[in-house]
Amino acid sequence: MTGASTLGIPVSRGGGWVPALRDDVAPAGMTTGEKIARPLLTSLRTAARPRGRSGTHGVTGVVTAFLAALLWFAPAAPAAATGYVEPPALAEDVAAGRLPPIAERLPREPAVVDLAAAGQEPGQYGGVLPMIMGRDKDTRQMVVYGYARLVGYRPKTFELVPDILKAVEVEDDRVFTFTLREGHRWSDGAPFTTEDFRYFWEDVANDEHLSPTGPPSELMVDGEKPKVEILSPTVVRYSWSRPNPEFLPALAGARPLYLYRPAHYLKKVHARYCEPAELEKLVKDGHQRNWAALHNKLDNMYKFDNPALPTLQPWMVVTEPPSDRFVYRRNPYYHRVDPEGRQLPYIDEVDFQIAAPGLIPAKTGAGESALQARYLSFDDYTFLRQSETRSGYETYLWRTAYGAHLALYPNLNAEDPVWRELMRDTRFRHALSLAINRHEINEVNYFGLALDGNDTVLPGSPLYRDGLRERWATYDPAKADALLDEIGLTGRDGRGVRLLPDGRPAEIVVETAGESSEQTDVLELVHDSWMAVGIKLYSRPIQRTVFRNRVFAGKTLMSISKGLENGLPTADTSPQEFAPTDQNQYMWPKWGQYYQTGGKAGAPPDLPEAQRLMELYRSWRHAGSRDERTRIWGEMLGIWSEQTYTIGLVAGVLQPVVVDLELHNVPVQGVYAWDPGAHFGIYRPDTFFFGPARPRTPESVLTAAVRSRR
Amino acid sequence: MFDYLVRRLLVMIPTLVAISIITFIIIQLPPGDYLSTLIAEMESQGENVDLAKIAALRAQYGLDQPMWQQYLLWAGGLLRGDFGYSFEYQLPVADVVGDRVLLTCVLNFGTILFIYLVSFPIGIYSATHQYSWGDYGLTLVGFIGLATPNFLLALVLLYFANVWFGTSIGGLMDPSYIDQPWTWGKVVSVLEHLWVPVVVIGTSGTAAMIRRLRANLLDELQKQYVITARAKGLPPLRALLKYPLRMALNPFIADIGNMLPQVVSGSAVVAMVLSLPTTGPMLIGALQSQDMYLAGSFLMFLAVLTVVGMLLSDMALAWLDPRIRLGGGTAR
Repeated sequence: MTGASTLGIPVSRGGGWVPALRDDVAPAGMTTGEKIARPLLTSLRTAARPRGRSGTHGVTGVVTAFLAALLWFAPAAPAAATGYVEPPALAEDVAAGRLPPIAERLPREPAVVDLAAAGQEPGQYGGVLPMIMGRDKDTRQMVVYGYARLVGYRPKTFELVPDILKAVEVEDDRVFTFTLREGHRWSDGAPFTTEDFRYFWEDVANDEHLSPTGPPSELMVDGEKPKVEILSPTVVRYSWSRPNPEFLPALAGARPLYLYRPAHYLKKVHARYCEPAELEKLVKDGHQRNWAALHNKLDNMYKFDNPALPTLQPWMVVTEPPSDRFVYRRNPYYHRVDPEGRQLPYIDEVDFQIAAPGLIPAKTGAGESALQARYLSFDDYTFLRQSETRSGYETYLWRTAYGAHLALYPNLNAEDPVWRELMRDTRFRHALSLAINRHEINEVNYFGLALDGNDTVLPGSPLYRDGLRERWATYDPAKADALLDEIGLTGRDGRGVRLLPDGRPAEIVVETAGESSEQTDVLELVHDSWMAVGIKLYSRPIQRTVFRNRVFAGKTLMSISKGLENGLPTADTSPQEFAPTDQNQYMWPKWGQYYQTGGKAGAPPDLPEAQRLMELYRSWRHAGSRDERTRIWGEMLGIWSEQTYTIGLVAGVLQPVVVDLELHNVPVQGVYAWDPGAHFGIYRPDTFFFGPARPRTPESVLTAAVRSRR
Repeated sequence: MFDYLVRRLLVMIPTLVAISIITFIIIQLPPGDYLSTLIAEMESQGENVDLAKIAALRAQYGLDQPMWQQYLLWAGGLLRGDFGYSFEYQLPVADVVGDRVLLTCVLNFGTILFIYLVSFPIGIYSATHQYSWGDYGLTLVGFIGLATPNFLLALVLLYFANVWFGTSIGGLMDPSYIDQPWTWGKVVSVLEHLWVPVVVIGTSGTAAMIRRLRANLLDELQKQYVITARAKGLPPLRALLKYPLRMALNPFIADIGNMLPQVVSGSAVVAMVLSLPTTGPMLIGALQSQDMYLAGSFLMFLAVLTVVGMLLSDMALAWLDPRIRLGGGTAR
């Protein structure tokens, strides 16, 4: 995470030139590789003019990385353009004429995966990867794990590189030109072209029946729609008059922004392309109310619940929901190949078994999953280790990226006027934070393996600086007492609980949607240390939907939940989570709603610091250079730690990842994060394979993540 | 007898109508509807939800109509065999439920059988050997079964079934048989998995059954006809089984109607823990997400089961006990 650059494109920002962003992969043949490399080198030379801050985040570092990548191209190229290997699982279909041969199925220039650079070994074909999920809807996890994206993150550096796309050109963060791979096909064999992009933009995003609210918000820059130009069957351009730095990250997300749809499939149910009578029959057969509902039901690229919907993912779903077992078969038209010309994925089939979430650790311990992290938590670690020998797997510990594993959210929009006033008093929030013994929570609940401190960026982020995590987050009951006295909460009742200005005792109900007892266990400890300064805490677990609605309505005084989603941001990551931009920010739901609805609902932020955060966020979106972004981030993080809007408890709780001994290429150390990360996604499960049982990883390597934080 | 049957059948109609109304109202009682669940989910995934879209969806699902209209729509559908549309699965309810009803019936039938098979011999032994070591010992076992929390026993049994027999944890069959056509291997796999939930749900039922059988039988054993039979030199087993046991059985038959819903709802909790593909977990999920037609149809299924169970038990009783059958005839 401390690498040279986080997006592959920083070099392009601000300059007038257009760098071509190449793949991490070699083109099919040497000659093509050279053809591409030459103009790229020229543009890189132009780019190498020193600009901005040099050093680890500077342009030079990026260029070096690019050159290094280029050097990789030559040896990694496959022997010959036609030397692709037919996966044995498909050989029979090819022989019978049900599928065209491999060379016709792959794009003309498939993405060649550089396994060596990722520290992976070339694999072998075959096998079924069993995994366990908690409910039917988890079939969408296959899109997350499959991680075929227009552009995708690379592990460790979190650099964006083209994946489905052959190339991306970015001009000033305003103009994005995408080049597709010629000959790329959907999983049903139909060509994947810019027509699929046009269909989405004109016939889905801008159709009043299908998208009554207009195009997805990621495509709107201050209310402005992009200009979408189809330049050729393989080139499409999106442009705005102002920068949209959130555009490419949205494409690479765990739940990506889809700019394309399988037009050939969906046109069959689109009113613009259908005979009304036929369409009506289809609508009726599908038990839908109108064609838009039918279209929306069939068109769920992310939900992944329609086996008939063509996909670009490595595995395609073949099971119709509802079911207790979902099967995913290899996509015969997948666009990635390994250096030896073998089409990925290596594993022929992935099975999701659906089981009660509470049983999943036990089932994993019994060896029923070959790769499992979802629904496992750190408390399961000892049990999982114990069953290792019996069931033939290993338990890795991956780091997580949450700003805080758990954080308290004082509701600044609380309905109760007295409480609202207190919650908005910075001193009160400081007092509450200072009165928590985080070290004790860490030792008691997490074996001392977590990080205590504020809910903010983690030490792995380049934006981290000393003091951010510790500001107002040390254990200092004396100071907390003094602060509460200073606010004027001096009266106490018989139990020693302070009295509010209107005479009620200071009893805070902390609401939790925790499905496990972990949150209430932690709250027990917070209760004791708050009681020492005269604040009484009650915890109240409620059902998640009700929980959220109560927070949104201001009925909740305080809630406990996960902290910031991405604790490892860089200057190019959107600081959206640090400004009131979302109703789901439980400390200021109404301010977030105000932003989300464009002022139609909610209330505008009325604390100067929150307004400043909002201003800074807006200026980040329009910032022209990386230095400016870094400066904006710095100021936002400062305000955030100083104001204690959320009271972070512990962070960096490790995620157990169970990996079968016969499953290869899964990194022993990784980051388990939703976005960026897509859990296993950025480690590319299409390169995982089943082979002879691996020797067990030495204990010191397995637990390296634990020791690195001591 | 025929009159009786017709009367009973006619009474079932208003009962079921009343149940359907109450069910529908109770499902609607919690604040919000399926859409609020959906909106919460969309928001949690970072989707912008605006008011126009919500209104459009509400109209699409028919949730903007008054409650009585929604009820009539649903009840009318039920009469035509259309159980409504599940919002969550976006499928007709009948398709969603599928195999689950069959597996639920298999599980519950197995459980009842287990309860009978275990409690009858024990109950008879306890009654004939009252206050002996055996009586106390078996009663103790029964009470332990009653007192152990179901879910705990379930987890313990699962673990040992896995360690000793290699049975996959949870579910009613090996994962490889799910969604496959029925074969002999699948049946065997179901049987391998079935015993854990059957034992777990059954243990709590057996204790009560043992005690009741024991008490009933003790009453009968002291009656004079038993003494007469013994004095006449009837073989002891025959003297026990032919008369007193038959008399002691009446309450059990009368109980079938009550037992059906008890077993079905009792199995819901265990099914959640063991993640069984039965109706229980699906019903709970439907209630949580306020998928009202799915939940409503499930509850109606349970209601019909109870009402039919009652009818069956009354008929069996009449058939089994001549006094009821004949007494019913003379009263008119």
